Amino acid sequence: MEIDRSFLQPPQPLRPQRMPQHLPLAGERVAAGFPSPADDYVDVGIDLNDQLIHHPTSTFFLRVSGDSMNGAGIHDGDLLVVDRSLDPRPGRVVVAVLDGGFTLKRLTRHQGRLRLEAANPSYPPLDLQSCDDMQIWGVAIHVIHPL
Amino acid sequence: MAQVTALIDANNFYASCEQSLDPALIGRPVVVLSNNDGCIVARSAEARALGIAMGTPYFKARATLERCGVVVRSSNYALYADMSQRLMSLLESQVEELEVYSIDEAFARISRPAAGDLLPWGRRLRALARRNLGLPIAIGLGASKSQAKLANRLAKVEAPHAGLFDLGHCSNGDRWLETIAIEDVWGIGRKLAHWCRMHGVCNARELRDMASGPLRAKAGVVGLRLQRELQGHACLPLDLAPSPKQETCVSRSFSRPITSLGELREAVATYVVRASEKLRKQHQRAASLSVYTRTSPFVPGFYSRSASTHLDLPSNDTQTLLNAALPLVERIFQPHRQLAKAGVLMEHLQDTEQLQHHLLVPCGEAQLQRRDALMNTIDSLNRRYGRGTVQWAACGLRSGWTMRRERLGRAATTRLTDVPVVQA
Repeated sequence: MEIDRSFLQPPQPLRPQRMPQHLPLAGERVAAGFPSPADDYVDVGIDLNDQLIHHPTSTFFLRVSGDSMNGAGIHDGDLLVVDRSLDPRPGRVVVAVLDGGFTLKRLTRHQGRLRLEAANPSYPPLDLQSCDDMQIWGVAIHVIHPL
Repeated sequence: MAQVTALIDANNFYASCEQSLDPALIGRPVVVLSNNDGCIVARSAEARALGIAMGTPYFKARATLERCGVVVRSSNYALYADMSQRLMSLLESQVEELEVYSIDEAFARISRPAAGDLLPWGRRLRALARRNLGLPIAIGLGASKSQAKLANRLAKVEAPHAGLFDLGHCSNGDRWLETIAIEDVWGIGRKLAHWCRMHGVCNARELRDMASGPLRAKAGVVGLRLQRELQGHACLPLDLAPSPKQETCVSRSFSRPITSLGELREAVATYVVRASEKLRKQHQRAASLSVYTRTSPFVPGFYSRSASTHLDLPSNDTQTLLNAALPLVERIFQPHRQLAKAGVLMEHLQDTEQLQHHLLVPCGEAQLQRRDALMNTIDSLNRRYGRGTVQWAACGLRSGWTMRRERLGRAATTRLTDVPVVQA
C-alpha cells in the first residue's frame, strides 16, 4: 500500500502574503534575575490586517480623490479598503466603473430604482437605469484617514 | 464517487490582470510585451479580435497598434505574481486538491456529484473569479490530466461552451475529440505528431483508439501513458508538493548593449544578489555557481562565454557568493564586444538543514549563525520597504543597463503609492 506522504510537507502558503504588524503588549527586556510577572500573559499582539481585511484574496486598496463622499467620512487622499467578494446591496458604499474610471458612491434604492448617491449635497444622484455600461467593481468596507 | 480532474486557467492572464485593476482598459484592446519590450506575449480578447498576432516583435507591430488604439503595457511581474497568488488561493478554496502548474494554470481534483453534472459548479467558479478578481477563467473537466487539458481547449475554442467543458459528461465526446488535431494534444511533440499522421492518426480520438503496440514501440511508456490517460485512466497524479529545485538561474537582457567590464560586473553582482535571495527563500545553499554573458545572436560575430567555480562550503550568503562570482567576470569579459545579456546559475543545491561540512575548511557555527541572521535582516528589510532598500555597493548605483520597461503599469495591488485612484 502506498502511503500518502503529502501531509509531511509543510503547507504551502497560497493566500496573499500579509505582513503582520504586531504591537507588543509586554516585553521581555527585564533586568536579569527579575522575571516579569507579566511574561506569562504576553499576548500575540494586535494585527490591523485582521481588523481591516476579511477576504485577503479579494481585497484591494484604492486611493480616494475628491470630496463627494465627505458626508460619509471619506475624504480626499484617504486610503480605501475594498472587498470585491461582497454583494453590492443598497446602503453600501461601492466602487463603480463609469466612463473608464472608478467612482465612489453610496448605492441606494429610491422609489424602486437603484441609484448612486454622493454624501455631499453639491453632487446630484445618478440613476443606474440611465447608464447601461456601469458596473459595480467592489464594496468599500473601511477607510483609513490620517488625522 | 468518481474523481474528476480539472484544468483551470486564466484567459490572456497578463492582459486580464492589467484590465482588472485599470478601469480605463475595460473593453479596450490591450497587449502586454515581453522582457525589454520585445514581443507581444499577451492579448486581451479585444486585441485578438483585431487580428494582432501572438509573438509579433513590438517594433514591427507598433504602427498597427497605434492606428488601432491598442493599449501597450510592459510586463508588470509584481502585479501578475500577486494576482496569480490570489487566483490560486481562490481556486484552492473551491476544489479538493490543487496543483499549481504555472503562473496562470492549475490542475485540480474534485468529486463528481451523484447527479453527474459539474457544470453548475464550474459556472459558479467562473463567476467567482470574475467578480472577486476580475479575471476570466476557462475550466476543462475530464477523467485524467490529459483529458482535462483537451477539455480546457474545447472550453476556450468553442464559443458556445462559454469557458467550461466536461469531457466526462457530454454527449458526443468522440466527436469533440475528433476536432482536436494531433499536433494540439498535450504531450505530443512535432516529430511524434508527424509519425502519427503517417500512420493515419490525425486527431485526439484516433490517438486514443489506435493500437497500442506500435505507439509503444515508437513513443515508449510515455506514449502509452498518454493513450491510457485519453482513455480515461488517471496515470499522472497531481503533484501537490513540488520537488526541491536542482538549480536557480537569474538572467536578464540589457536595455542597451554594454561594453565595459565595470558594467558587466555590476550586472553580474545584481544577479548574484537576486539569486542569493532566491536560494534563501527556497532554504537552499549552492555548492557551485556559473556566470555567463553573450552578445545578440542576431548580430554577426556572436560571442558567448561562461565560467564556473566550486565553493568549499555550500552557501547562500550574498557576500560569499559575490566573492566567488565577481572574479569570474574578468574571465568571461572581452573588450569591444556588444554584450546583450548576462546571467548567474546556482548549481548543486542542498537543503539548508543538511550542510555538509568540509574536512579542511573550518566553519565556526557561531559565525554561520551570525551571517544567517544578517541575511535574514536584509531580506526582511527589502521585503518590507521594497527591493534594493539594503543594497550591495558592487551592484552599482545608477545602472543604465537594466531591463527596458517603458510602458510599465503600476504595481496596483502590492505598492501603496501605486494603488488605483477612485473618484469621490
